[in-house]
Amino acid sequence: MTAVALTARTARFRTARFRTVRALRLEIRHSAVVWVLPILAALFYVNAYRTAAGYPPTWTLRASVITQANLAFSSMIAAGVAAWVATREGRRKTGDLLATTARAAWARQATVLAATAFWMVLAYLAGVAVIYVQTALQATWGGPPLWPVAVGVVAVAASCAIGFTCGTLFPGRFTAPIVAVAVFVAWFVGVNAANSVNPDNVSNLSSLKGTSALLVPALLGRPPDVDAGVYYHVPPDVFIAQVMFIGGVLLVMVGLFALLPAARVPGAWGLSFAAGRRLTVVAAAGVACGVAASATAFSLAGTGQYSLTTGWEIPALHDAAGDQSVPYTPDCTGSAFKVCIHPAFAPYLGAMSAALQPAAAEIAGLPGAPVRAEMTPGYSPPAVAGTASVYDYSVEQEGFSGGFWATPATARTADWEQGEQQDFITWFVSGPAEQDAPGLTTPAQEAVAIALLARIGAPVPSYPQFSQSITAAASGFESLSPAARHAWLAANIAALRSGTITLAQIP
Amino acid sequence: MTAAGVKTPPVPPTSRAASASAARRLPAGARLAWLHLRSRRVPSALLALALCGGALRAVLHWHLTSGGALAQQGPMIIEAGAAVLIVMTTHSPFGEAERAAGRWLPYLRLGAVLALTGIAIGALQLGVTGASLPGGVLILARNVIGITGIGLLASLVTGGLLAWILPLGYLGFAEYALNAAWRNPWTWPVRPPADRGAWICAVLVFAVGLAAVTFRGARTSLADNG
Repeated sequence: MTAVALTARTARFRTARFRTVRALRLEIRHSAVVWVLPILAALFYVNAYRTAAGYPPTWTLRASVITQANLAFSSMIAAGVAAWVATREGRRKTGDLLATTARAAWARQATVLAATAFWMVLAYLAGVAVIYVQTALQATWGGPPLWPVAVGVVAVAASCAIGFTCGTLFPGRFTAPIVAVAVFVAWFVGVNAANSVNPDNVSNLSSLKGTSALLVPALLGRPPDVDAGVYYHVPPDVFIAQVMFIGGVLLVMVGLFALLPAARVPGAWGLSFAAGRRLTVVAAAGVACGVAASATAFSLAGTGQYSLTTGWEIPALHDAAGDQSVPYTPDCTGSAFKVCIHPAFAPYLGAMSAALQPAAAEIAGLPGAPVRAEMTPGYSPPAVAGTASVYDYSVEQEGFSGGFWATPATARTADWEQGEQQDFITWFVSGPAEQDAPGLTTPAQEAVAIALLARIGAPVPSYPQFSQSITAAASGFESLSPAARHAWLAANIAALRSGTITLAQIP
Repeated sequence: MTAAGVKTPPVPPTSRAASASAARRLPAGARLAWLHLRSRRVPSALLALALCGGALRAVLHWHLTSGGALAQQGPMIIEAGAAVLIVMTTHSPFGEAERAAGRWLPYLRLGAVLALTGIAIGALQLGVTGASLPGGVLILARNVIGITGIGLLASLVTGGLLAWILPLGYLGFAEYALNAAWRNPWTWPVRPPADRGAWICAVLVFAVGLAAVTFRGARTSLADNG
C-alpha cells in the first residue's frame, strides 16, 4: 500500500465523518424539540424547581427531585416528541424521494434520533444545572451527587429511543400522544410498584417477595430522609442497577430500530436482514446486550437489602468500604448552654440556638438539665431526660416542631422556634416511657410543662390530657417566684418524671 | 267505481325533481359526514378511545397506580390521553383548499368534536363499569371536556398534529397540583366532583376552544415546518 492510497483512505474517512457531523448539526438546528422547550421549562419550574426549593439545602435530598418530577415530565415529552419526529418523512411524503439518495435511510433516521435526544438531554441537564447551582449556593456540606444525573440522562435518552422506534413502526397521527401517555402511565405504575418497597410503607422489610421495583428511578416514590447522605454516603448500588436496566432498554430500542425495515422504507413491516451484514450483526448484538443488561439489572435489584444507615444496598454491587460514617466537626454556638449542629445544617444553627437558649436558661441548674444540645442521626432515639447532660435532637424527630423539612428561611420564624421549645421542654419533664413519642403521660407533667413554656413565651402544644384543671395548676405554678419554682423543681423533678407527682401536689 | 280516482292530476316535473333531490340529499349528507370523519382518522380515534377505556379498566382493576389521595393520578392521565385523541382529529389533510369547498365545514367540525367528546366519556365510563373510579363519572367528564378544550385552543396555534403537547403539559401541571393539594378552580382535575368553579373553568375552556375550532379550524400549516 502506498502513501498515496493511505492518504486517499484517510481523506474518505474524514469526509464521511464530516458528513455525519454536518447532518447532525443540521438536524439539531431544525429540530422540532425547540417548540416544546417552553412547555418543558414551565413544567420544570412548577414541578421540579419549586419542589427542590422547598427542601432543606442538602445535596441528596435536592438531587432526589431530578429523578422524580424532572425525569417524569422530561421522559413523557421526550417519548412523544421523538415519536413525532420519527414520522416526519411519512408526514411530508418524502419517503420515496429520500429512498433514492446515496445515504442509507437508517443513518439518516439515526441522525434525527440523535438530534432529538441531544435537545432533550440538554434540556434535562439544564434543569439539573439550575437545581444544582441553587443548591451549591445554599448548601454548607457535601457535593453534588452524579449518579442520579446519570440515571436521568440515560432515562431521557431511552424515552427518546422508545418514542422514535414506535413512531417509525407506526407512523400515524395518534402515535406521538399515545406513546407519551403510555410512558407517563408506565412511570406512575412504576412509582406505585416502588412504593411497595418503601420502608415507610412496609412494616417488615424481610417479608418482601422481591425488590425489583428498586429499578424505578423514582427513588422509592418519595423524597429520602432529610439527612440522607449526610452521616453516611448513599451507596451507588441502586443507581448502578437503574443505569444498567434503562441502558439495556435503550440498547434494545436502538438495535430494533436498526433492524427494522421500516427505518429504511416507511411503511414496511417485519424484521429484515437484507441490509448491510455488518449493520445487522451490530444491531443484533446491541439487542442481545441490551436484553442481557436489563435482565441482569432486574435480577440484581431483586436481591436488595435495606440498611437503616445507608438505605438500599445490592450485595453483588455493594462496596462495604463505603459504609463508614462520614467524619465531621459540628458547628456550635453558646457558652453556658452549647447548641451544636451538623455542618450540613449550619444554616439552622442560629434559629436552633435562638429557640433553645431561653428554654435552657429556664431549667438551668436543675437535676438532669442538659448543658449541650447536639444533633444526632435520625434513627437514634434521644437519651432519657435526667440520665445525660446532652439533649439529642435529630432531623427526623417526631415532635411538635416542623423539624428540618423546613427551609432555613422557614426555620427563622417564631412558629418553628416555638415548636423546638415545646419539644425541648416536653422532653425535659417527661419520663422514660415517653421518649419514643411526643406527649406527656401524667396531668402533673403537662401542668409543669405548660408553665415552663408560658415562662418562655411558647404556646401550649396539643398535649393528650389537656383540661381546665391542668391549666389552672399550670397557671398557679407559673405565678410562683422564679426562686420558688426552681426550688420546687429541683426537689421534685425526678418524681415528676417517674409519674408519682399528682396535680394537687403542684404548688 | 268512478273516474275520479283515475283522473289524478299528474305530478308536475319540478315537484318530482325536488323529491328526487331530497332523496339524494340524505345519503349525500351522510356521505359528506363520513368522508369528513375519514379524512380526520376518526375511525382510528374511536379504536384508540376504546383502548383508553380498556387501559382505564386495567389501571383500576389491578390497582396499578397509587391509592389514597393520589388515586386520581392514573385515571387522569388516561382521561387526558382520550382528550388528546379527540384533538388530533381536528387536523385536516386538505389544508386551505377545504375551507373554500362549502358551507358545511363548521357544522362538520362542531359535530365531530361534540360526538367524539361524548363517545370518549362514554367509552371511559363503560371501561370502569363495576370498578370504583375515584371521583366518579363527573370528574371523568370534566377532565375530558376541559383538557379537550385546552387541546382545541392549542390546535389554533400549533395545528392539530402538534396539539397534544399543551394538554399533556397541563396534565403534568395537574399532577403537581394533585400532589400539592392545590385548590384553584383552574386546576379542575384536583377539585371535588360537584365543584362549581372547576366546572365553570372546564366548560368555559371547552366552549371557547370548540367555538374557535368550529369557525376557524385548526391551523393548517404545521408549527414545526422548519
